[in-house]
Amino acid sequence: MISALYFLIVAYFTAAFLVYMFRERKLSAQISTALVLILLLLRLFLVK
Amino acid sequence: MRIRSDFKPFRLSRHTLTAVMLLLLVGAICLVSGLEFLKMHRPDVFYPSQGVTHVAMLSDYFGRLKNSPGDSEIYVFKGEAPGGRILILGGTHPNEPAGFVTSVLLLENIRVLRGTVFILPQANLSGFTHNDPQEGNPQHFGLETGKGIRWFRFGSRLTNPVHQWPDPVLHINPAGQKLAGMESRNLNRSYPGRPKGSLTEKIAYAITKFIREEKIDLSIDLHEAAPEYPVINAIVFHENSAELAATALMELQMDGYEFRLEASPPTLRGLSHREWGDHTGTMAVLLESANAAHGRLKGRPSPELIIHGKDRNYVKASRLGLLFVPFTTEGIPLRKRVSRHLAAIQALAAGLSELYPEKSLIFQDFPQAATIEDRGIGPSLHPPK
Repeated sequence: MISALYFLIVAYFTAAFLVYMFRERKLSAQISTALVLILLLLRLFLVK
Repeated sequence: MRIRSDFKPFRLSRHTLTAVMLLLLVGAICLVSGLEFLKMHRPDVFYPSQGVTHVAMLSDYFGRLKNSPGDSEIYVFKGEAPGGRILILGGTHPNEPAGFVTSVLLLENIRVLRGTVFILPQANLSGFTHNDPQEGNPQHFGLETGKGIRWFRFGSRLTNPVHQWPDPVLHINPAGQKLAGMESRNLNRSYPGRPKGSLTEKIAYAITKFIREEKIDLSIDLHEAAPEYPVINAIVFHENSAELAATALMELQMDGYEFRLEASPPTLRGLSHREWGDHTGTMAVLLESANAAHGRLKGRPSPELIIHGKDRNYVKASRLGLLFVPFTTEGIPLRKRVSRHLAAIQALAAGLSELYPEKSLIFQDFPQAATIEDRGIGPSLHPPK
């Protein structure tokens, strides 16, 4: 149950960051978002 | 044919194009780093000696571990004559390679003529699938056998959080000791385990049940610790094995090995040397060797530091009198740490035979500590296939 909740939280943030990256017009902000997305995606797929 | 005058070709705006490119880059980085992380999930390969009579699984003793990341192999060496029954446990903490390598050396060499030896080389198998964050530790280290390099994983002290999550803020272990939350993933704080607990507690429960069901006389848990840690080069014993530990110590000292005896504190709960003795009746012993790669004062972590054990910070710390073991420019190499474990296991088995003749053990092809220290570990390992 708690793992499912965790997945949902990580999935929500991943989706939110992804949308933000596409809406953002400043390149530096897009790059910063991409860096955070790497960590979220690795966590979402439970690689580590 | 009419052509629509309001037709506009589809064009990506500049910021959408950069977002797509960044997304592709993120995917590539995730793929490369993900594959790197997943290398840790490839199992280590062992080549048991011809003396092995049976390979059991921890789940044979506790079914709930079956197909879980904690289900580990137990190599059984049963002699033709009945005698003592001993357990050698490596890999409780997968970032303490001397214990793990010692158990691999034993399972790839020994034959048992009298008594039964059980070897569990990777007690916390989940801990081998990742390593400690922010430590910069290598994922693997290699030992040259003369016919190729044998690679082994260098894991973490704790169960992989992918397999057990989340850590509580405060952890009260099965023996009632209060600990920091992350210690809930430490196998050697989880004894005697809980059948319906976390993965780590289930592994601890399975090991405790295994010791009880197999009526193990002597259980040896192999560890390493930092040179600045006071319980080092030590035999930690439960009060039920005090005489045995003292007998073994005398034999070790006669062979030139300095060990200190440490009684298992009755108030320090959840550790193997305390709970095995209390809950199963086995004579419980824990061995510690000194590993610079494990310490807080170390320089750059690397496979060389794990294998050769040389570190100038520790040489300086030794000169300043901050360590509990002598540390020179020669370092404390893995072969020396493994040879100490081997010598102690042999002395404990000899002590068991001396104190309880009906529980005596006779080995053949037991890797000799002096040979391992002189020639290194690799030549006594099976070459890779």
